[in-house]
Amino acid sequence: MSKPTPDVYEQGKGMDAHNQAMREIRSRKEASYDPHEPTRVWLDEDNTPDGVKSSLTIILNTGGCRWARAGGCTMCGYVAESVDGGSVSHEALMDQIDVCLAHEDENADEPAALIKIYTSGSFLDEREVSAESRRAIADTFADRDRMVVESLPDFVDREKIADFTQHGLDTDVAIGLETATDRVRHDCVNKYFDFADFEAACAEAAAADEDAGADAEAGIKAYLLMKPPFLTEAEAVDDMISSIERCAAVEGCHTVSMNPCNVQRYTMVDDLYFEDGYRPPWLWSVAHVLTETADTDAIVVSDPVGHGSDRGPHNCQECDDLVQKAIKDFDLRQDPTVFEQVSCECELTWETVIERERSFNQPLTR
Amino acid sequence: MTDYFEVHERDGAARVGELRLSSPLTTPALVDDVLEDAGSLWSGDRERPAGDDSQLTVLPHRAFPGGTPAEVQESFAVDAPDVDYPSVAVVSSETVAPQGTDAYALSDVQSAMGHGAALVEAVVDVREAIPTDTALLFSGVATPRNVALLAYAGVDLFDGTAAAVKGTEGRYLTTDEAYFLEDLDELPCSCPACQQPREEFTRADCAEHNVSALESELAIVRRRIRDGRLRDYVEGQARHDQWLTAAMRELDDQWGYLEERTPILRDARIDAATADTIRRVEIQRFADRVTTRYRNRFRNPLVLVPCSAAKPYSESQSHRQFHDAIQWRAHLVSMTSPIGVVPQELETTYPAQHYDTVVTGRWSEDEKQFVSEVLGRYLERNEYPEIIAHVPDEGYRDIVERVEERLALDVTYTVADHPTDDESLANLSSALSGELKYSKREREHNTVRAIADYLLGDGAGDDLFANIQTTSRYPKIQVRDPDDTQLATMVPQYGTLSFTLAGARRWLESDAPTKRVEIDGFVPHGSVLAPGVVDADEDIRVGDEVVVEGPKAFAVGRAEMFGREMAESTRGIACEIRHVEET
Repeated sequence: MSKPTPDVYEQGKGMDAHNQAMREIRSRKEASYDPHEPTRVWLDEDNTPDGVKSSLTIILNTGGCRWARAGGCTMCGYVAESVDGGSVSHEALMDQIDVCLAHEDENADEPAALIKIYTSGSFLDEREVSAESRRAIADTFADRDRMVVESLPDFVDREKIADFTQHGLDTDVAIGLETATDRVRHDCVNKYFDFADFEAACAEAAAADEDAGADAEAGIKAYLLMKPPFLTEAEAVDDMISSIERCAAVEGCHTVSMNPCNVQRYTMVDDLYFEDGYRPPWLWSVAHVLTETADTDAIVVSDPVGHGSDRGPHNCQECDDLVQKAIKDFDLRQDPTVFEQVSCECELTWETVIERERSFNQPLTR
Repeated sequence: MTDYFEVHERDGAARVGELRLSSPLTTPALVDDVLEDAGSLWSGDRERPAGDDSQLTVLPHRAFPGGTPAEVQESFAVDAPDVDYPSVAVVSSETVAPQGTDAYALSDVQSAMGHGAALVEAVVDVREAIPTDTALLFSGVATPRNVALLAYAGVDLFDGTAAAVKGTEGRYLTTDEAYFLEDLDELPCSCPACQQPREEFTRADCAEHNVSALESELAIVRRRIRDGRLRDYVEGQARHDQWLTAAMRELDDQWGYLEERTPILRDARIDAATADTIRRVEIQRFADRVTTRYRNRFRNPLVLVPCSAAKPYSESQSHRQFHDAIQWRAHLVSMTSPIGVVPQELETTYPAQHYDTVVTGRWSEDEKQFVSEVLGRYLERNEYPEIIAHVPDEGYRDIVERVEERLALDVTYTVADHPTDDESLANLSSALSGELKYSKREREHNTVRAIADYLLGDGAGDDLFANIQTTSRYPKIQVRDPDDTQLATMVPQYGTLSFTLAGARRWLESDAPTKRVEIDGFVPHGSVLAPGVVDADEDIRVGDEVVVEGPKAFAVGRAEMFGREMAESTRGIACEIRHVEET
C-alpha cells in the first residue's frame, strides 16, 4: 500500500494547529514507565463472530504511538502511558507478555479463548513491534482461538496477519477508525488517515482470510469514537449511526466497537472540559445508536469507560448504572429490546439536548 | 454592513433594538422561532444557505467552545460569506473579528457563565470587536434570573434553550431562584403552564413555565431599557445570584466600555439603594467632572450643606431656610451620598437632580470615603477665603473633619443640633456677617459657565462665555452675546445647555473641546441617520450637544449615539437636529 506515514502526512494548517496544541498539552505530563511491565492487563468476556468468549486484554507498552509524539489525537491520553521517547526492546516486550500470562494464570480458571493486544499505537508497525516480537507473540498464543491486535490501517497486510492465522488463530485487526466521516476524523479527532485507507485494510484482511482457507478466519474490528470534541450531541449520534452503517457495509469488517469519548488527562478534550467546552456523550445516545443500528450486518458493541462520572459518558447519575448494564447486555446478545426496559426522567432532558444543542451553545448540560 | 438590526434605545451597554425581519422583533428577545442554523462545518460541508428575511440565518460555522487552543482557533477560522439576508456569524471571544453580519453568536458562551469576570471579559471582548450596530446572541444560557444582567452587559439576543433544558431537569426557574420542582408544594407563578394541579405539573410543563418566565423577564428588561432604568433594576435583581452581582461589579471596572455607552443625561430617576450605586458611571462621571472640569468662580466663602430629598435642592424646605440665612453671601455646595459634592450651579445637572437615595442617616464607610475623597479633590482645586460647614453630625461632619485634617484647612462649624434649627441658622448667618452679596448677574453668568465647564471641559465656561449677557429666569437662563444674539439656553430638566447656531459657531471658534459630527453633502432636518455620518469625535456621548457639519449644512443638535457608534453604524439615528442652515 502506498499509504502516507504519519510523518509525511503531518500537513495542512488544521492538523499543524492540532498537533502543536497537543504537543504542548502532552508536555505537561511528567512520568515514565517501566518497559518490562505492560500498561494494563485484565480478564473479561467478549462477543465475537463465534459467540461470547472469555478474553485476556493486554495493553502492551511499546513506546507509544508515533502519531501522538507528533501531537496526535485530540481525545487520546494513552501516549502519556508509554515509555519516554524510546522504543521497547524485544526482550522487554516478551517480559511484558510473561507478566500478562502470570496474571491470567493467577486469576482465570483456564486460558482465555480470546487474546486482545492493544499498544496505544500499531502492533503491526514494525518500528513499534518488530517482526521478531510479533512472531514470538503469535507463537505464544498459538493454542488460543482468537487474537485481536490493534493497528492503524497503513500497517495492515496479509503477510503480517498470516503470522497469526498460520497457527489456526482467528485473527482480527482492531482499527481505531473513530468515524467513517473523513472530515470529522481529520478536524475533530486529528487522525490522519481516510476511510479509503480503512477500506483498503479491510481488503487486506479479506485477502488474508482467503489465504488462510478453512484453518482460520481474518477480519477487521472497527473502533469508533462517539462524540469527539466540537460536535454536538445530535451530530455525534448521526455521525455514529452513519459510521456504523458504512463500516458494516465494508467486506472484511465484521465487528464495530462504538465507544463514547471520555475525558482523559493531558488531552485537548481535557482542556475543553476544564473550560466548560466539552461534555462526554449521554448513555442514552449510546443506547439510541445501538438501537438504530441493530439491523446492520455486523456485530455492534460498546464499552463505555468511566460511565456515570463527569469525565465519562453519563446521564443523570440516577440511571447511569442501569443503562450501562443494558449496553453490556446488548453487547453480548445484540437485542435492542433491552433498552425498552430502562427509562428515566432524564430522557426528556436528553431529547431536549438532541433537539436544541448547537455547536455555539454546547455543552447544554454538565 | 448591518441591514437587519437597528438600535432604537440605549441604556448604558444595554439596548432596545429591532431585528428587522419580515415580522420585526424587538430586542432583547428570544429568537428561537426565527433562528435558522445553517450548520457546523466541524460535522460536514455546508451549502451556502438560501436564507430569507423571515428568519435570522446562522451562517455555516466552526464554533470554538471554551478551552479551544488559540492555534486551533486561528487555523480553523471561517470567514462568513457575504449574504444579503439577515445573518449571524459564530465567533469566539478570543478570536472575534467583524464578519459583516447583522448579528454574532458567541461560541464559548457556556464558559462565560457562572463567573462574573469571565462573563464580563467575554462580552466586552466581543462587543468591542464587532460593530456597535450589530446584535450579540447568547444561545443556551438565558434564565429568568440571569437575563437582566446579560442584557445589561450588552447582549441582545437569547433563546429559551437553557430554560427549557433546566425545566426537563426538574428545576423550576424564577427571577430569584432555580427551585427543585420536587420541593415546591405550590407553584409560585400564574403563567398558563402553572394553571393546573400541582400533582399534574410535569417536567415538560416546568420547561414551558421556565420559558414563559424568561419571556416575562425580558419584557421587564425592555421596559427598563426604554425607561433608562435597567441599572437600578439590576442592582436589585443581581442580588439573587452571587455571580451576577460579581458580574455587575466587574463591569463597573470596565470604565472604558461602560462610560462610552452611558448617556450624559436621562429623563429618569437614579435609585441609590445599594452600595453599588456609588460605582455607577453616572455617579463617578459627575464626581470626576466636578473635580476636574468645574471651577468655582465666586469669591465668597464656601458653605457646605447637607443634601435634601427634594430636587433640585434649592426648592427644598431645608435649603430655602439655608438660603434665607446665607442670602447670596456664600457659594453653596451640597454634600451627598452617593453623588459627592454638588456646587449650586450644577444642582439641576444630571444626575444631581435625578437621584433618590435611601434616607436613614446611617453612612457606610464606603460612602464616607467616597464623599470625603470627592470633597478633598474639590477643595484642592477650588480655593475659598473661608469654609463654613453647616452640616449635621451623622456622617457629614465626620467627612468634613477628615478633609479638614488631611488638607490642613480651617473649617467653621455652625450646626448646633440640627441644620435647620434656629440656633444653627443663626450661627450660619452670623458666620457670614460682613460678607457682600453677589449679584443675580454674577450668579447666572457663573451658572452657565459652570455648566459649560461640566459639559465641555476644563475652562470651557471662560472660553465660551467670557463676554455674555443672560436673560430670562433661572433655571431657564438664556445666554446672549453683547449684541443680544442668543447663543444658548439652559435646559432645566438636565442642567445642560442647548446651543443656537451662533452659539455653535462660537463654540467651534473657542478653545473649548468641540464635539463634531461630520456629515455627507445633505441638509439634515429632524435627525441625522448613521449612514450620513462621515466621522464623529470619539468623546461624544449620548445626550451630548453636538455641532454637525457637512459640505452643505451647518447644524447643532443632540447626540443619540456615542461618537464611535455614529461613525461605524450603518443604521439608526445618530443625532437629532435642533437648528440647521444651508451653507
